[in-house]
Formats: sequence, C-alpha cells, structure tokens
Amino acid sequence: MASLTLKDIKKVYPNTESSPKKKKKKQQAEEPGKEKANLQITDEGVVAVQQFSLDIADREFIVLVGPSGCGKSTTLRMIAGLEEISSGQLYIGDRLVNDVAPKDRDIAMVFQSYALYPHMTVYDNMAFSLKLKKMKKDEIDKKVREAAEILDITQYLDRKPKALSGGQRQRVAIGRAIVRSPQVLLMDEPLSNLDAKLRNQMRAEIIKLRQKINTTFIYVTHDQTEAMTLGDRIVIMKDGFIQQIGTPQEVFNHPINLFVAGFIGTPQMNFFNDCKLVEKDGKYTVEVLGSSVELSPAQQKALKAKGQRSCSIVLGVRPVHMTLDDGGFTGKIEVSEMMGSELHLHMTVNGSDVVAIIPTVGIDLEAHSIGKTVRFSFKPELMHIFDTATGMNLL
Amino acid sequence: MQKVKNGPDSAALAVQPEPSKARKTWRRLRENHPFLVMVFPAVLAVFLFNYLPIYGVLIAFQDFMPGDPILGKYTNWIGFNNFTRFFTDVQFWPLMKNTFLLCIIGFVIGFPLPIIISLMLNAMKGKRMSKTLQTIFNGPHFISLVVLVGMLNLFFGRYGLVNNIAASLGAERVSYSLEASAFRPMYILSSNWQDFGWSAIIYIAALSNVDPGQHEAAILDGASRFQRVIHVDLPAIMPMISVMLIMSIGGLMGVGYEKALLMQTDGNLEVSELIATYVYKQGLTGVPDQGYATAIGLFNSVINVVLLIIANTTSKKFSENSLW
Repeated sequence: MASLTLKDIKKVYPNTESSPKKKKKKQQAEEPGKEKANLQITDEGVVAVQQFSLDIADREFIVLVGPSGCGKSTTLRMIAGLEEISSGQLYIGDRLVNDVAPKDRDIAMVFQSYALYPHMTVYDNMAFSLKLKKMKKDEIDKKVREAAEILDITQYLDRKPKALSGGQRQRVAIGRAIVRSPQVLLMDEPLSNLDAKLRNQMRAEIIKLRQKINTTFIYVTHDQTEAMTLGDRIVIMKDGFIQQIGTPQEVFNHPINLFVAGFIGTPQMNFFNDCKLVEKDGKYTVEVLGSSVELSPAQQKALKAKGQRSCSIVLGVRPVHMTLDDGGFTGKIEVSEMMGSELHLHMTVNGSDVVAIIPTVGIDLEAHSIGKTVRFSFKPELMHIFDTATGMNLL
Repeated sequence: MQKVKNGPDSAALAVQPEPSKARKTWRRLRENHPFLVMVFPAVLAVFLFNYLPIYGVLIAFQDFMPGDPILGKYTNWIGFNNFTRFFTDVQFWPLMKNTFLLCIIGFVIGFPLPIIISLMLNAMKGKRMSKTLQTIFNGPHFISLVVLVGMLNLFFGRYGLVNNIAASLGAERVSYSLEASAFRPMYILSSNWQDFGWSAIIYIAALSNVDPGQHEAAILDGASRFQRVIHVDLPAIMPMISVMLIMSIGGLMGVGYEKALLMQTDGNLEVSELIATYVYKQGLTGVPDQGYATAIGLFNSVINVVLLIIANTTSKKFSENSLW
C-alpha cells in the first residue's frame, strides 16, 4: 500500500511516420471531417493525456472514468510503467518512479483481456511472478493458496485458463495480481469482457476484495455505474484532460460541467437549451420552457457570491428529480419503459427529449402510456445551471 | 405432475415421415452447392496430380519396359523382386546412410533455425528494422537451385572467394566441390541459408497473434526480454512447431535429387549419391529401369509415411497437437 502523486503528467505519442506520410496525416487532421474527435494532433505528436495532476491516498480506491479515447488507460499504463511519461512526475510513496522499470514499481495490474498465460495452470499463472523473484517454493505455495482462498478459486488451481469461464479467468487474473501483495493494484477495465450478470457479481467481489487486501486501487472503466459503486473518488476524463475529481456523490450532485453532468447518471441528465438566467434586483430566476422559476436561497447565495449576471444557460435536471404533478410543464410520452419498481418516461417537451423516472407504486400505468400527455415539474434546488458559452456549472 | 404442452400436437408430429438418407444428402448438397462448386477445381487438381499418378506405382511390381502398358495382357508381374534387388544391392546401405545423414543433420540444424529467427525478429524493438531483416532473409528463397549451386561453385571453387581469402592468409587452395567431406556442410548450410527466412514466415505469423497483454503482464511480473520469449512467445507458437515438426519428420527422407545432382562430382560421389539421385539415374538415364526406380521411390515413400505416423502418434501422446 502506498500513496501516489501524479504531477502534471503528459503523454504525447510522437510522430514517427516518414515525411510524405506525415504530411498526408497532417493534411487529414486539418480536414475537420477526418479528424478524430478526441485526439489532439500537434506538431510534437498525438497528445493522449495532459495536465493530469492527482494525489491518491494510501488504500484509496480511485476510478478513472471517461469515454473511449479519453486517456484513462494511457494514464494507468503510465503508472504501470508500460508507457513512458512524456513530462510530469509520478511518485509512488515518496519515490519518483518515472524512470523505474515496471517490475520495480511494486505494482500489479489486471488486464481487460485477462492476459493469462494459456500454457500454464492457474497455479503457475499466479506463481509466475514469485518464481521470477526466486522466492522459496513453500512460500510461493503459501501465497498462491492464500490468494486462491480469497478469490475462491482453490478448486481450479490445476486447470488451464481455457478450461475456465470468463468470471473464473478474471478471478485468476486478480489472483495473479494480488499474490504479489503490491503497493498499488491497477485494473484496466477488468469487467468489460463479462456479461451483465457476471459483471454485477464481480463488481461485488471487487468491493469485498478491497476489504480483504490492504492496497491502493486504481481502476479504469468507461462504465459510470462501476465508477460510482466502486470508487472512493472518481476522476472523470475527456480528451486527455481531467474534467472533475470527486466522490461519487460530489460528481453526481455537483457536476462541474455539461460533460460530467451528461456522463454521470443513467439515464443521463435532461438538458434544456436556450434557457436564461435572469438577475433582477439581486434575485435570480431561470426562464425555462416559457416559465420563470425562482432559484432556491442556497442557489441565490451561490450566484450572488460569484456576482453572476444574467446570461444564456443550459438547464440540467436529472430524470430522478422530475416529478409528475400539476406543475407548469407538459410533455407527450413517446416511450414508456416499465422497469419494475420505476417507470422511465421518454417525453417530448417543446421539441426536446426529456426522460423522467417515476416510482410505480400506486401509479395508473394506463395514464402513463405512449401518446398520453403528462404534466411535470422539478424542484429548483435540484436544478443544475450551466453557462451556455463555457459549459461550466454556475452553482 | 401435469405436462405443459407448448408446441404442436405430439401425435401430429409422430406421423411426420422421417426424410430418407438420400433426401437428406440431396438437401445438404443443394444447400451447399456454391461451396461445392468453389472447391471442385481444387479437388480435381489434387485427384489428377496427386492421386491418379499413384496408379503408376504398379510398375514397381513389374518387369517394366518404357512403352509397355501398365495393365495389359502381357504385363510381367514379378512381385517384390525389385524391392529385394534393391535391398541386396551393394549401393543400398551407402544410399541409406547418405540420405539419412544428410536429412537428419539438415533437420537438426534447419528445423530450429527459423524458430529462433522468428523469435528474434519478433522480440526486436524496432519494427521497421525487423521487417527489413525479414525481407532480406526471404530473398535467398527466390534464387533458383542452379544459380545457388553456381554461387557455391563461385565462392568455394578453387579460385573462388573463400580460397582467395584462404590463400591470402597462406593456406592451401582446396577444391571444395571435389571434397567428399565438404559436400554435406555445403549442401546443408546453403539449404538453410536459402530457406530459413521463408520457413520463419509461418512462425512470425503465429507470433503476431500473441496477445500483447501477455507480454505486458510478464513485464509487470518481472520477466526479462529473454524470459518473455521463453514463457510467452515460445508456448504461443508451440502448436505450430508441433505441426511443422510432424510434417518435417514425415518428409525427412524425401530429399530432392536436383540439388544433390547439381553438386555431385566424382570426388564427392561416395557421399552425394542419395536415394533420390539413384532413383533418377536408374529411372531416367542410361538404359532406364523404371520398375526398379519406382520400387526404390516407393520404399522411400513408405519410410516417410511410417515416420509421419510415428511422429503424429508421439505428438498426440505427449502434447495436444497432432495432424489427425
């Protein structure tokens, strides 16, 4: 177990093509249609991660989350030592490890593809790193059996990976990592190859595992549910930049910008464009869908403290924070999804798509079927106000 | 317990007649006819050029003269006489020894070489350099045997490059093509030089399928580059090695006559006369004795088949890989 400090980490994949190819690529990059949306191509190369600074406490469970190509796996691989750090400093404990070989960083990693050695038995897979360390046989045996016990894979120790199911393979991959008692355990989308049921099961297993082993976890996923359920803190990334760092509750309740607001939460937050924040006589109101909503005292205070003026905004409301009542907004139900304990209503409101989640207890399902019109409202204190120009949360 | 009936009435199903075997076959043929049409030329070619000529081995059991029909009224069947003649031939043991030694030494050197080369090329950091080397290594494969033997004569001839260098260092000039002791090294090393790159292609292709995650896992486990080759790359190509090993053993005695014949001189005849060259000489030169030549060739093929079966059975027993 150890703390980690990442200071202004940057990763650039330098251009390596010969000049005619480079020219062609540059030309392609300059054409807006051909540029990869989340890759920044500069003169020095493709920038995958930049300005990445993060302090990770000892035994903390950090989750790096973001869409594909946002740089989360690259960051993890830089921590592992599988990718060179272009600039910045990486400390594990008090030790600067930028130029330390992966094997000497005292870290272990669980790969998305499991990366088990197919010709070795489960036992040998788990014992491999210890054998390379020239550890004594009885000590290796003890450690492997302990790890197998924790992960409930003792009965599979003599099997080869191909004789195991996906979930069992993933346990072996975790076992191979924890058998070394690493200071930091890195996990690169370890559950993404599993089906939904097994993924939920393994997620619970990882939470249990965390209680059993004392180590610092850094977990990469694109699944925000995994991020919310596993992480002590979540690092949300986009285009190589950190968007927000916070506890699951913080990022859910106070998303820093439109991207985070849209990324965290399922179904995603409803956004009402073309709204206005109006400041009049020191009072703030929001004009949305032709109505004027007065903000809560806390919101008033926050905006006043910032000296916020009237501006164009995007209003965000989470589907769970919408209530069906005699409120001021009307929507036509396009899709009604019965989820058991709740109903997901997909509505059109003034041409915008809006989703509301309502509990099914005591509800008349017929009145909430496709084509029906319902009235709804939302509490001002649960609204998120984003500046249209910058996309930043104004609260 | 009450049975729940979801499907059609079971009695109605029972009266449905089971389609006949011929009908099933016809349906399968109709369903797969585009694939059958596609595979037909290949099957025809294999039949014409690989199976039909087997008919010719009958002459191994005949006192056959060129121009005679293989099966006819006046065919002179002599049973295994051609075989016993070969086994009692004064040339039998020298031929066996020469062929066996040349093949075995060639195999021992030539089989692991492409594996080592492919592992080395795969482990190279600079992929561009690796590709360039691979292309260079493949080059000699495209040199014809005649040109290759010509090159050997140029380099190793009495006034060739090797002798010139040796002479400049004060050594005596040697005509290697006339030296019996030089035949096997020249034959084997030149063959390996010509084919190691080409043979490595199949292993390089197999290595390209290795999950890079396994290498990364091994790096984190603390494996050195060499340990990664041993513990990740080599096991990954082991099934391919097994198959190639079985096939190589199966063709062990099947050395061709062309190169040996081109390199053959009076000086090295005692070691350069192989079963293949002997078959050629018996069957196509002088007064041809094609029945006898076919018998020798057939004997050689039988040895190869036996070796193939032994290799396959052994591989099946000790590993999970086999040809059948």
